[in-house]
Amino acid sequence: MKVPYSYLREQFADPQPILDALKEQLSRCEFTFGKELKEFEDRMAGYAGAKYCLGTSSGTVALSMLLKAAGVRPGDEVITVSQTFIATIGSIVAVGARPHYVDVLDDYTIDPSRIEEAVNSRTKAIMPVWYSGAPPRMEEIMEIAARRGLSVIEDSCCAIGGRIGKKHAGTFGAGGAFSVHPLKNLNVWGDGGFIVTDSKEIHDRVLLLRNHGLRTRDEVDVYGYNARLDTIQAIVGNYLFPSVDEITEKRIANAAAYDRAFSASAFQPFITLPPRRPHTRHVYHMYMFLAQQRDKLLARLIERGIEAKVHYPIPNHLQKASLDQRPPFGRGDLSRTEAQCQRLLTLPVHQHLSREQVEYTIGEVRKFYLE
Amino acid sequence: MRVPYVDLAAQFKGNPDYRRAIHEILDSGQFVLGPAVAEFEGNFARLCGVARAVSVANGTDAIFLALKLRGVGPGDEVITVPNTFLATVGAIVSCGAFPRLVDVREDYNLDPALVRRAVNRKTKAIIPVHLTGNPAPMDEIMKIADEHGLAVVEDAAQAVDAALSGKKTGGLGHLGAFSLHPLKNLNTCGDGGVITTDDGGWADKLSRMRNHGLKDRNESEAFAYNFRLDSIKAAVANLQIPGIAGVTEARNRNARLYDEGLQGLAPRVVIPPRDPRVRHAFHTYVVQAERRDDLIAHLAAAHVETKIHYPIPVHLMEAARPYGYRRGDFPVAEAQAAKIVSLPVHQHLSEEQIGFVIETVRGFYSAL
Repeated sequence: MKVPYSYLREQFADPQPILDALKEQLSRCEFTFGKELKEFEDRMAGYAGAKYCLGTSSGTVALSMLLKAAGVRPGDEVITVSQTFIATIGSIVAVGARPHYVDVLDDYTIDPSRIEEAVNSRTKAIMPVWYSGAPPRMEEIMEIAARRGLSVIEDSCCAIGGRIGKKHAGTFGAGGAFSVHPLKNLNVWGDGGFIVTDSKEIHDRVLLLRNHGLRTRDEVDVYGYNARLDTIQAIVGNYLFPSVDEITEKRIANAAAYDRAFSASAFQPFITLPPRRPHTRHVYHMYMFLAQQRDKLLARLIERGIEAKVHYPIPNHLQKASLDQRPPFGRGDLSRTEAQCQRLLTLPVHQHLSREQVEYTIGEVRKFYLE
Repeated sequence: MRVPYVDLAAQFKGNPDYRRAIHEILDSGQFVLGPAVAEFEGNFARLCGVARAVSVANGTDAIFLALKLRGVGPGDEVITVPNTFLATVGAIVSCGAFPRLVDVREDYNLDPALVRRAVNRKTKAIIPVHLTGNPAPMDEIMKIADEHGLAVVEDAAQAVDAALSGKKTGGLGHLGAFSLHPLKNLNTCGDGGVITTDDGGWADKLSRMRNHGLKDRNESEAFAYNFRLDSIKAAVANLQIPGIAGVTEARNRNARLYDEGLQGLAPRVVIPPRDPRVRHAFHTYVVQAERRDDLIAHLAAAHVETKIHYPIPVHLMEAARPYGYRRGDFPVAEAQAAKIVSLPVHQHLSEEQIGFVIETVRGFYSAL
């Protein structure tokens, strides 16, 4: 049996409704800033319960623009984690600021108790990451930020539909960035992203920044970027939007099946599941755990047709891109991050997996450890 | 008779090739990078007569990445012109560098004598803009750059398929930056851009810089950006490549008709000088017109759509205030901004439509 990691062929097996919508757009040829972009933004703002949403060309540039809009300038420090995709750090470096790495909890999200010791006179913002779709300790982080006068920009690129209580990812701080990359829970036909915010000021700045800083066709207030979400991508996003909760619930159900199986006492010496927080909605962009003999298990699963992955073997602070920095980026003790990277494994969890595929995957993990 | 400034529907509507290209991407599930992107890059490099092309998310990113590649950063200066789309200057500012603007000549392109005067010890790069699809005086610029060890990034956003002395734009400087925006001569179904270069090592590095700095799936050697061209957009742009020579010819033919038809209206209508060494690839057809705004209104009343590229020179925009420029700093560009008008020149116009525009312009001035 094959258990593929990507599901895009299944998802877009019948693209006709999207192609029809694209065709309708072609008669208008509004490839940038078509009405569908506004529709997409209104939908996502409503879904996240935020006042404003703006489509962007990627999640990475969404983060950079939020940092800029929040007043982060070259030389400023942004407290974040090393346990994340490199784009989190790239977005900070791109605005001339410097990441200050702090360690994570057992659920791979930022450890709030490490934030205060990282604050110094250059610190301007905190960037918690909803890694794999898991909720960071946003309540504690917001309390620290308020006390120390820092902005909070959420990297919620993996977390469309993620919630703490009833509050959606990306709505806790000054703004949140999302990705709609093809492998994200809500996806489009290429790169894309959006920001949400309740602040009119942040909205107004990002609105300028994403379109060259243009106030009108001919006048510019501040130099910005070309970071627009194409109309055709907004059309795809709009089409998939009604299924976002169904997609998420299927992923959550697959994750729950894995959790139930792997929390059996027989697995305890081999598999460490991250703690799950009650009253939150982890959206399982990735299903990850710590595995003994990770690389051997990975090889076995792949051999058995199961596309497991490692996200990611090298944490950011050990990437050449960080090691080359002079002076070095600020950092606390990152031993937990380093230990996790030796053992983290990701199993396919997407919405197109059948019950049989999930059971087969569990069975192969069981065979590896227990037989 | 209607003469629209752009006619994208004529290109895209009901065209089965686009549908097929999009279906191929859907069937492959490869939405990011992959064979469609590689194929487009190979074809674009051949089109420009360079060794390599690296696709990016848009033309602004193309300029920005090219500057970054050559080490442009805070404290550096980059020389360019004030009569460009502001994204040229925006890309310089995004690098943290200072935009050192110099005035232009009668053909709207930068003046090499002024470039020479603007070079100082902080200067790191020159961005000649091939405005309207007309190559800038690259011989002189490359000479200055060689003397001072400066990087030259062509802003060829408006100048795909143009050439100077037989050499294509994008291969005239060290690096070329192109845009695939829907309104460009070679376009795609959204934002897009390309960087060209003859240096394979640079192209490899640019390919990493547009993809988070990733060397492979897991390792990054320098933090960078997500500036990828979507595979779908690469596939759509790839479809335009076989037809671009025809597009250029059609636009150039329209421009020639204007050049001939508007002759003799000087000084009321001033056609810029045409350099015989240049193969222009008219992205815009820009003349300087007396009573410009009245002419535009007169043309609009006759259903002829015109534009102004661009009414406000970049140095007079609010965003440029920190750089200390003032009105009067660039007299040629400022005088042009008050008089320039862009007449429709796209490839879907008929000879009759061009003739009608010429007649309407002539009618306006003969009635004065």
